[in-house]
Amino acid sequence: MLRFILTRLATAIPTLLGMSLVAFLIVALAPGDPVLMELRAMGIVPEPEDVAALRSEFGLDDPLLHRYVDWLWRALQFEFGTSVATGRNVMTEIGLHLPATLALAVSALFGAIAISLTLGSLAVVVGRYTGAGLRGLTILLVSVPSFWLALLLIYAFVLKLGWARLVGDGSPSDLVLPAVTLSLAAGAALGRMVYERIRAEMSEDHIRLAIAKGLSPGRILIGHIAPRIIGPLATAWANAFGGLLGGAVIVESIFGWPGLGQLILQAIAQRDFPVIQAYLVLMGLIFFATSLLADLVVILSDPQLRRRLSDE
Amino acid sequence: MSDQPLRIPALRLIPRRSGARRAGKRPVGLALGLVLLAGFGLLALAPVVLDLPAPDEMDLLARLSGPTAAHPLGTDHLGRDVLARLVGAIPVSLGAALAAMAAILAISLPWGVIAALAGGRTDAVMMRLADIVMAFPMLVLALAIIGFMGASLEASILGVAAAWWPSNARLVRALVLSASHRDFVRAAYLAGASRLRVVLRHILPQVLPPLAVIISLETASVLLALSSLSFLGIGAQPPTPEWGAMLNEARPFFAQAPHMLVVPGLAVTLAVLAFNLVGEGLQALLDKREPYRW
Repeated sequence: MLRFILTRLATAIPTLLGMSLVAFLIVALAPGDPVLMELRAMGIVPEPEDVAALRSEFGLDDPLLHRYVDWLWRALQFEFGTSVATGRNVMTEIGLHLPATLALAVSALFGAIAISLTLGSLAVVVGRYTGAGLRGLTILLVSVPSFWLALLLIYAFVLKLGWARLVGDGSPSDLVLPAVTLSLAAGAALGRMVYERIRAEMSEDHIRLAIAKGLSPGRILIGHIAPRIIGPLATAWANAFGGLLGGAVIVESIFGWPGLGQLILQAIAQRDFPVIQAYLVLMGLIFFATSLLADLVVILSDPQLRRRLSDE
Repeated sequence: MSDQPLRIPALRLIPRRSGARRAGKRPVGLALGLVLLAGFGLLALAPVVLDLPAPDEMDLLARLSGPTAAHPLGTDHLGRDVLARLVGAIPVSLGAALAAMAAILAISLPWGVIAALAGGRTDAVMMRLADIVMAFPMLVLALAIIGFMGASLEASILGVAAAWWPSNARLVRALVLSASHRDFVRAAYLAGASRLRVVLRHILPQVLPPLAVIISLETASVLLALSSLSFLGIGAQPPTPEWGAMLNEARPFFAQAPHMLVVPGLAVTLAVLAFNLVGEGLQALLDKREPYRW
């Protein structure tokens, strides 16, 4: 098992390096001179020789590869420089907002998993027409844009019913509406997949045998179908988590949830490159770790793979 | 002897359509999706037929008014006709989604096909490269690209295309790979057919139907992403009429003028729904499996 984890990590190194190169190049190739921009942000009208001096001081005249290695070394220590807009350290800025975004994405993921399992397995179990109705509802939920859903929920629960408030301070009760908004769409998309997977399994002979043995639908679902679909579903959950990290930006900006969303939108508006770069790298790493976790679940849930690993 | 003609079922030329099997496969969703798409197409032509004001025309005396005879869907905070903007946004919103989809296909189709057919090291390298891009959450990567290009509709199209193509290339590769391993494809090779002929005559026809499903579903997700970006204010910029941007502009007038919120949101939902329905409907039509029932 440990060996598998180590080999999996080793094969991940090229991907990680590639990711860092992408994050580096997006900034390195971005239009505009970073020195000029920084100076302008500080309100200084720069002389050409000052610019040249600063360029050599920051190593901007070095070859691209050299700059990449330098950058990577600092990135490994989570050093992404200072924000152009606020002048504060990028990592402290992000560290301030990251927990809120993670709390939102994780709670939305659990909500989405619960919704998807309910929708997907119900659509299989119930009769043809109810099933078609449930699938229709699933497609509708997938199609509703989260920003509109959020506005509708605010209209209903904040303005009309007054059950929730809009300008929160990040307490857990303020998390409910944003998390529900995020998890509905993701849950419906996953539910579609659960339905497809269960349907594919039900076309297999071993399910036919189970039906012939007279097992109840519940036992077939839990005992025969669930173990076979948990692996692919774990992969889908990891993917959905990536989607939720991105989707959080939209929902946070509507509900005023104090996560990374506000920070990144501001950074985009002000072309605050260090913040955007750090955000890209961190979200990539978190998503990457999630995928790794999903791979582990795939291995653990598949007896054949498990046996092969323990034999090695 | 009865005078009924002798029937030999096995020789029946046109197979009898058994009602039971057909009943579950009536493509209601597909038809509904196509009707919706056609509806959007017709609505986009409405300015030619109907006498609508220009999307940017301001009627400052009738700001934030509800539905009236002059403005059937009301006006926004600058007194612009919501219906005119809604209709004017169709080419922008749908056009952006189709442009992004075209860009995605332009990269992912050759990428997937070449990787699948070349195999070996080429395949490994190409898929590794796709994996690297896929290692970022899609919307996050799109946000970063927009951040570096500056917020505009073009940047959001490029950002979405750059973030969405790898997963598509993976699907194309998987489709081509499974299609090229069928026996009749090998038979064609052995019979001396050229590579191009095998790809065009034997592999492409197998790939097209599932590809249509993928394209339809992906267009739905791209449309959703683009309108979300416009809603965040980093896609289409005002005063361009775009559904997401219209909703963004409506946000401050949330309690005052709810009509500004309902219509554009409904338009996005219906457009995305149409593409999803078409995709799902096609998939159901292509699905030959018969699950066992209990």
